Amino acid sequence: MKSIEIGCRPNRRKVLAAVLGSGLATVLPRLVQAAVDGDPAALAFDGDTILLADRGLFVSDDAGQTWTAAETLGNVLSLATHRDRPGRVVAGLAEGGVSISEDGGASWRIFEARLPDGEITAVAIASRNPEMIYASLRGDGLWKSEDAGATWSLAMDRPWLDDAERELLSLASVELETGMGGIWIYAGTEVGLTRVPDCFCRWQDVQPGNAMDALVAGEAPPSEAPLPGGEPILSLASAPSAPEVMYAALRSGLWASQDGGVIWQKRASKAATAVAVHPRDETYIAALLGGILKISRDGGATWIETGER
Amino acid sequence: MPMNKGPKDRSAKCTVRRSVHLAALVSALATTGVVVLAQSEPVDPRVEGLTFLGEPVLASQVMAGQQLYADNCASCHGASLEGQPDWRRRLDTGRMPAPPHDDSGHTWHHSDRMLFQITKGGVGAVVPGYESDMPAFGEDLTDAEIAAILVYIKSTWPERQREFQAEVSANDTGG
Repeated sequence: MKSIEIGCRPNRRKVLAAVLGSGLATVLPRLVQAAVDGDPAALAFDGDTILLADRGLFVSDDAGQTWTAAETLGNVLSLATHRDRPGRVVAGLAEGGVSISEDGGASWRIFEARLPDGEITAVAIASRNPEMIYASLRGDGLWKSEDAGATWSLAMDRPWLDDAERELLSLASVELETGMGGIWIYAGTEVGLTRVPDCFCRWQDVQPGNAMDALVAGEAPPSEAPLPGGEPILSLASAPSAPEVMYAALRSGLWASQDGGVIWQKRASKAATAVAVHPRDETYIAALLGGILKISRDGGATWIETGER
Repeated sequence: MPMNKGPKDRSAKCTVRRSVHLAALVSALATTGVVVLAQSEPVDPRVEGLTFLGEPVLASQVMAGQQLYADNCASCHGASLEGQPDWRRRLDTGRMPAPPHDDSGHTWHHSDRMLFQITKGGVGAVVPGYESDMPAFGEDLTDAEIAAILVYIKSTWPERQREFQAEVSANDTGG
């Protein structure tokens, strides 16, 4: 399979941009951490390394204290990594296409057999299979690649919520059993949260596991505390070390769930635009709150500010 | 006057006795043959490697299911279980087209119990509030007829899909 690569033969302009970006980031690390409230931004953990896509791609190996600019194949809107494949970074591009790095973002490739044209609003790697990549294409639907980006096929149309098809703004492969021989893919839309089994039968609301039992028995449904309705869900994360622990970034704040998205509690009140969770510690999260990257080591109870706008 | 029982009479008696024994043997063999035949070629054999809700499936069920599928399901899901064209793309109504029931679809990811519930009660029986063009067949078909349709669909799957679906069904605890 042919692919376009960078990292092997950089041209003068790209090298200059990377050096300048790297130098600025090292000298003035706080400058690169500023995200305008509401601007597209993405976060991911690659092991202990944090990747931040915000008008450029930046990498930090010291929990956000210092940053290095990384070259990319385009404007990165979304990021995904996998706990079992250190160094693999999947980036959804504003110009279209999904680029893949196998060295933590130092070099990138994009296959010729690419997705249809259009902005890639969100990407995810299947929790149980790092070769399986999901990408949402604006105005189109959810696509999947079973061979790490070499080929793509349509998995599912966009969800139908509140009498309209909705864009998928964020994705998370959540390692919770569907009862259909697979796991769930959660998606944040313009108007709320939805999910689809990875057999792609149908989009559906997040419900407690025993909701159907209660329905059949005519009992009161289990308690739920969903995310605020009608609000875009800009970023989603499920903890690989405890998949039922989830985080969601909304303009109303940073929200957390301990039960796979049935009951949510607010953990930060400033507008959140991106969130990521450490692969081995479900309480270690990074989030863009009010445009500033912050770190929490206790699931969002307290936050450490690593930079300012 | 007593009859004379000479050598000729004894010979005739032995011939009769041998004939009786032979007839009995033939009869016994014939009976055994019928029994063996009945055991090796039953009228309604089980379909090897196929169960539904934990029960064995008979060939007659599959045959009945094929006809019931043609009468009730094929108009949407396709005569060859191929589904509606472009079935992953939403219709203008917002609803999804009828998916295929062959191995290219997702039917084999669902347990026997769920497939039965969906067919009998509609998709809303397993996903409350979900809007679908699929009707609930509970009032038009008996439980046995619904089961027959589903075993027919299952009988068309390749081995891998059958094994996967059998495991999903075995793990389905009814939750």
